[in-house]
Amino acid sequence: MSVKRDENWEPQILAFCCNWCTYTGADLAGLNRMKYPENVRVVRVPCSSRVNPQFILRAFQKGCDGVLVCGCHPGDCHYATGNYFTRRRFMLMQRLLEYNGIDPKRFQARWISGSEAAKFRDTVTRVSQEIKELGPNKKFQEEWYSEGGAGNE
Amino acid sequence: MSSIIEELQSTVKKLLEDGTVGYVIGWGATRFPDRTTPVFITRPEDAHKLVWNHYCVNGTAKYALDDRYPEKKIGIIIRGCDSRAVNRMIQDNQLKRENLYLIGIPCDGKENPVCEGCQHKNPLVYDVLIGTPVEEKINPDRFKEVAEFEKLSQDEKYEYWAKQYDKCIHCYACRNVCPACNCKECYADQYRVGWQGKQNNRNSNQVYGLTRAFHVGDRCIECGECERVCPMGLPIMRQTKKMLKDINDLFGDYECGLNDSRPHVLGEFDLQDRDEFM
Repeated sequence: MSVKRDENWEPQILAFCCNWCTYTGADLAGLNRMKYPENVRVVRVPCSSRVNPQFILRAFQKGCDGVLVCGCHPGDCHYATGNYFTRRRFMLMQRLLEYNGIDPKRFQARWISGSEAAKFRDTVTRVSQEIKELGPNKKFQEEWYSEGGAGNE
Repeated sequence: MSSIIEELQSTVKKLLEDGTVGYVIGWGATRFPDRTTPVFITRPEDAHKLVWNHYCVNGTAKYALDDRYPEKKIGIIIRGCDSRAVNRMIQDNQLKRENLYLIGIPCDGKENPVCEGCQHKNPLVYDVLIGTPVEEKINPDRFKEVAEFEKLSQDEKYEYWAKQYDKCIHCYACRNVCPACNCKECYADQYRVGWQGKQNNRNSNQVYGLTRAFHVGDRCIECGECERVCPMGLPIMRQTKKMLKDINDLFGDYECGLNDSRPHVLGEFDLQDRDEFM
């Protein structure tokens, strides 16, 4: 194992953002020159209910330390009801992952609307801080990544 | 017991003779006294091959999926769990009730540990019932095992499951036998999409186990077939029972495969659901 836990370690966080609210919110945060941690990678999805629970497993497989799913507030969904399905699905997914040994902080979901740039910044900062305290994630990781990934080749 | 067998055989014989059903799926004897095998009875004179004893453990309902457009009705001998499997597949639009002729038979538990916690010994749906209904009992320990396991620390849980999934050999027997796993094409067989790693290592086994648990978790009828067929003895039901326990805690009492037409939990929503993501 060549990976060492050092002071400069930064978590890798994947954020699935709904095109209609959170992605716009993140855009607004950028327009307002808000500072938020660089270790969040944003993936734009048409709706938070587009996020298949397998996406989350895949993210952990490929070396992410945390996953965040962001969507519109209940009642504001662009497709009317998408985020109600998200809510049920990920309440169960979070519990199932915890049952399998993944800290619930590593997989979170939040409702962030298009105007809530500050909430996006705060959420991302807090999630990033929490995962930094938890340290790197080795659970559910593919061997190639847990042995150091591209850095070893 | 022997009168039930005679009644069963004569009923099946009559059904085949008058052409109500094309064939009947039931259990037949093997050369071992403590094993039975699923049999398909197509001729009236073969009806005597049917058996009914403590070792009729195989689920019979899922075989109907191999014949989605039958010429005549398919006769299935069903216990309580098989009747829930039939309900499951009808609710999933995989089978049509008018294509089935259900021969119900109350079951007092078989050579299978899951039968101890059975809450539905009598068939919930049938066209003809053989024998007399047995007494049902509520199982207060339905989620006891899951609740005990939840008390472990995160690392202990992970280690436990990792060790279990190290044993998995990707035979997909649990999927093949599961009445809730009725997709025409399973995601694990879609080799070009690549959701499921084909290597037999800890990681792809874990992903298979979790994905399957999530796919069937809200539709599981708790028949325990997955654990019975697993050649490596994985506690597969422990994952799906966890899903069912959470569903019971979060969205109210829930049992699948009953006669109500309530859609499965992840296929519907309620505006009053608890919100943890604010």
